[in-house]
Amino acid sequence: MTLPLRMFYIAIVQVILTSFIIYYLVTSQYRELSDMNVKTLESFLIAQKEQELKNYTSIALSSVEHMYQLAEQNNQTNQTAVADIFKNMLYNGDDGYFFIYDDKGVAIVHPKEPERVGKNWWDLESDSGDKIIQILIENAHAGGGFYRYQWLKPSEKNKASKLGYSIYSKEWQWMLGTGVYLDDVYAQLDNLHQEIDNHINYTKQIILIVALSSIFFIFLFGIAVNLNNKKTAEAKISQLGQRIIDVQEEENRHISRELHDGIIQTLISIKYSLEATAMFLLKNKQQKPPPLKQAEESLGFAIKEVRRISHHMHPQILDELGLSSAIETLAIDFSKQTGVQINVNKPSLRKLLPDFINTTLYRVVQESLTNIKKHAKAKNVVINISIHDSWLTLTIKDDGLGFDINATTIKGNHGIGLRNLAERVEHHSGRFNIMSSEKGTEITVNIPTSSFTKDFPNTITKVK
Amino acid sequence: MNISSKEEQRKITVLLVDDHPMVQGGLLACLEYYDDIDVVGLCNDGKDALNKVKKLKPNVILMDVSMPLMNGIDATEIITEQYPDTKVLIFSMHDSSEFVYSAIQAGASGYVLKDTSSEDVYHAIKSVVEGNRHFSSSIAKMLIEAPLKNEHDKLTTREQVILSHVAQGFSSKDIAKKLEISFRTVEAHRRNIKIKLKIECLADLVRYAINNGLVNHKNK
Repeated sequence: MTLPLRMFYIAIVQVILTSFIIYYLVTSQYRELSDMNVKTLESFLIAQKEQELKNYTSIALSSVEHMYQLAEQNNQTNQTAVADIFKNMLYNGDDGYFFIYDDKGVAIVHPKEPERVGKNWWDLESDSGDKIIQILIENAHAGGGFYRYQWLKPSEKNKASKLGYSIYSKEWQWMLGTGVYLDDVYAQLDNLHQEIDNHINYTKQIILIVALSSIFFIFLFGIAVNLNNKKTAEAKISQLGQRIIDVQEEENRHISRELHDGIIQTLISIKYSLEATAMFLLKNKQQKPPPLKQAEESLGFAIKEVRRISHHMHPQILDELGLSSAIETLAIDFSKQTGVQINVNKPSLRKLLPDFINTTLYRVVQESLTNIKKHAKAKNVVINISIHDSWLTLTIKDDGLGFDINATTIKGNHGIGLRNLAERVEHHSGRFNIMSSEKGTEITVNIPTSSFTKDFPNTITKVK
Repeated sequence: MNISSKEEQRKITVLLVDDHPMVQGGLLACLEYYDDIDVVGLCNDGKDALNKVKKLKPNVILMDVSMPLMNGIDATEIITEQYPDTKVLIFSMHDSSEFVYSAIQAGASGYVLKDTSSEDVYHAIKSVVEGNRHFSSSIAKMLIEAPLKNEHDKLTTREQVILSHVAQGFSSKDIAKKLEISFRTVEAHRRNIKIKLKIECLADLVRYAINNGLVNHKNK
């Protein structure tokens, strides 16, 4: 795994971990805080309700206080009258009412459930097993108290949580009670809980989105970095390849020159020495011996061979006379070998170009002609070299069969050669173009003169 | 003494220009067998040849092409321009037509390949001294097959140098002084350049030179 790729994975894992931790911390803290708030609110609401109940009860009691005075005179009558008053004392719509039980649990007043009146409810149990009436009476005896239990809610005709408050009236041995239903409080609290959950969900979503987008950006960044790395790596490889080719060309040229200037010249000097020997013998009236003749012939053959090798490695003409002459020679040789008519149009100047441009363009022409010979079945080839508007342009145009550029650049032997050439031309900041159809192929190379003008002064002084 | 000096006068003076001492030695050994040839000097490159020609004024120069400092073709052009009486015979390994055309353009009287026999070299020397042209048989064959046609359109190195100077704003007088040739020669070159490039006026000539990179306009 490469270093950037590892960094990239670490970054993603880190984002995921961080997101989880943030999510956990934020939600748990938030929930804790909200739960606390909800509890406070709940106790506040309940306290409010309790205060309400106390108030209602005290109002109710004060409204019947004058009846107590009379109670001692006529207990029974007054009890009934007071019961009637309580029966009609309603608040909060249908749900706020007063109920009265005696010490034994017999209902005396119950405006919403009149069927209960007169019956004993001492043993009435709630779902959880509490003796409701007993607890209420007990609370009343204790000086007034609150009790939460399930009871029928008149406005909704079903059981709901109720906060009951009961006090005791010693005068009549009554337990007076009233209650509020807490379902609206619980509904409010539920709402709050719901909102908290929503909020936590929302937070979760935001964290998720942030995490995902972070991962996405890291991913994009990673791809960009990778692509960039790949690109630079490819450019480096290509550059290295070009350098290898440059070095190879330089080496070839060196060896070629060594062969041409060293070995061949030595062979030639030997040849003249042999000739001098023959002349010496002739002067002394002696015939040329057959081994000498044989040596001369072998030497001639050797000279031809070495020349052929030297020329193959690097055409000397490129260094001596420049590009156009070298291409002209190439064209003449090509015509002789293949019978293809070939025209070379070139500028009236020579030796203007630096060696690397010379060699590159020479190889382009050489490779193109090889392709034409192998595949194109052309009758005519035109080669143009020109310098115009700060561009050096070389075109090689044939009227052969053409080929599929895309197919041959990938596979096929002449595609690779052309692609290498394209890379070489681009290495010298030039452009390489191939157009091919069934009417023929045209290869164009453009090199900006700026890429070699710095060599011009040298060229001129060399010419001088 | 008199007789011998007369004989000396009849001898053809030859200057060998080649950067390979062994080749010079080998050829020298052969030419010594010919009584009418007198090798008066040996040089190793074109620049050296220019100096020696001034002093020795040889009848014939046997000129190699590939040499350091100044190649044989460029040297030939300058020598034939300044010493029309000296004949230059190119003596080279190169057998492609471009070399031959360039040599002819530069004013060489003949072209002999190094792998021809010394006898041929001798005949060539004799031939060019008499005002003829001489080519090795394979070269002659090549010239017949593909005679010089549009090659006259191509500027020689000397013409290129002069064009470059013209484009840089030097007058013919300046150029003559700088290149140590006569004013008339410079004018002749300028005429030839105009004919070859089919250009009439000076402005077009300068533009041509700039377009083709003969003048590095960025430095000017």
